[in-house]
Amino acid sequence: MAMNTGAELPGPGTGPGGAHDGDDERLGCGRLLSAVWDAREDGADDLHLRDCPHCSAAVRQLDLLGDAVRAAGGGREPSWDAGALTERVMDVVRLELRPGPPLPLGEREEDLWVREAMAARALRAAAETVPGVRAGSCRIRPAESGAGPSRGPVRVRLEVVVPLTAGLRDLAEEVRRRVRGAADEALGLPVDHVDVHITDVTDPAGAEPGRAGAEEGTRP
Amino acid sequence: MPGDDGLLAVRAAEGDEDAFETLVRRHAPGLLRLAASVLGSPAEAEDAVQDAFVSAWRRLPEFRGQSAFGTWMHRIVVNRCLNMLRSRRPVTDLDSVPEPEAPDHAVSPARAAESHAAAVALGRSLSELSPEQRVCWVLRELEGQSYETIAETVGISPEAARGRVFRARRCLTEAMTAWR
Repeated sequence: MAMNTGAELPGPGTGPGGAHDGDDERLGCGRLLSAVWDAREDGADDLHLRDCPHCSAAVRQLDLLGDAVRAAGGGREPSWDAGALTERVMDVVRLELRPGPPLPLGEREEDLWVREAMAARALRAAAETVPGVRAGSCRIRPAESGAGPSRGPVRVRLEVVVPLTAGLRDLAEEVRRRVRGAADEALGLPVDHVDVHITDVTDPAGAEPGRAGAEEGTRP
Repeated sequence: MPGDDGLLAVRAAEGDEDAFETLVRRHAPGLLRLAASVLGSPAEAEDAVQDAFVSAWRRLPEFRGQSAFGTWMHRIVVNRCLNMLRSRRPVTDLDSVPEPEAPDHAVSPARAAESHAAAVALGRSLSELSPEQRVCWVLRELEGQSYETIAETVGISPEAARGRVFRARRCLTEAMTAWR
């Protein structure tokens, strides 16, 4: 990032003193202050640091700073109420929606449309009615490629994270069925094809994502 | 469930504002703490984090998940803070420097007074660091990040990050020694 260069000279690690350059100090015992502090920070087991008056004074200075930081609570608030901030951020976000391209609703001769983001919301929700399933990316595009918005049926590509079970294929099939049902019945969005991609599996006990790319199902 | 940040980020990138709201709610407290440490002002920290989230919403379609959402947000907030520090007028009046709040749970009045004095001294010394030193020091000392992570966040080499933290510590220890 260019914005971070040039503010401090010379450049990193170029001089004989490495990154610390002219700001470093050679202590009375011959050790560099930076090396002594690095050793302290790394918790190095170095007898010299304890016995040498120069080094132990340098270490004490660093410890005093640590004490001051802790006494100041790090200069931090103990906890933040992020509620008001979240509201302000979302006020801006809701004015800058990214609705995506229009998709046809109903019959070919009708003039009803839904934005991709709105339709995706409904289809993800339908997928998540299958217990343990979490929906990620949901892209909905006209099945027939062509210029401009098409009134033909659409193709849905849905990524899901599913619980690790023996019947992944059945689970994917159930997700596909519910997504297709929601598109047909709830939205009136004619669907040509639903691709269900399992991008990750969760351990039902730990409920944490596990291995990626367990299985992919692309049957209609 | 921080494990599903990636999933929520993908959804937010596709225009799902509810997914984004979950991410904002989840990451705002930590980012506010970081920004307040760097800027020394809760009000400015709120501005920085708010701007960072709005910028993230706009850039999400390009966010391909090369890094975790939290790491990406950290980077945006740090850069925002750096820009704010750089655009500040040079400090001529030390009394105008925002001071960190003293904790209200100190054990005794004497200890509280000393803690407060140390906090004030530290706050003033911090304001004398360069923006780059200050950011690197906060990430190292308060966020406990490795030099490699700091380097990645700030966009410099790990050696440069180490150098900036060292220089910050030198300035601060000298100031604290003078205070004592």
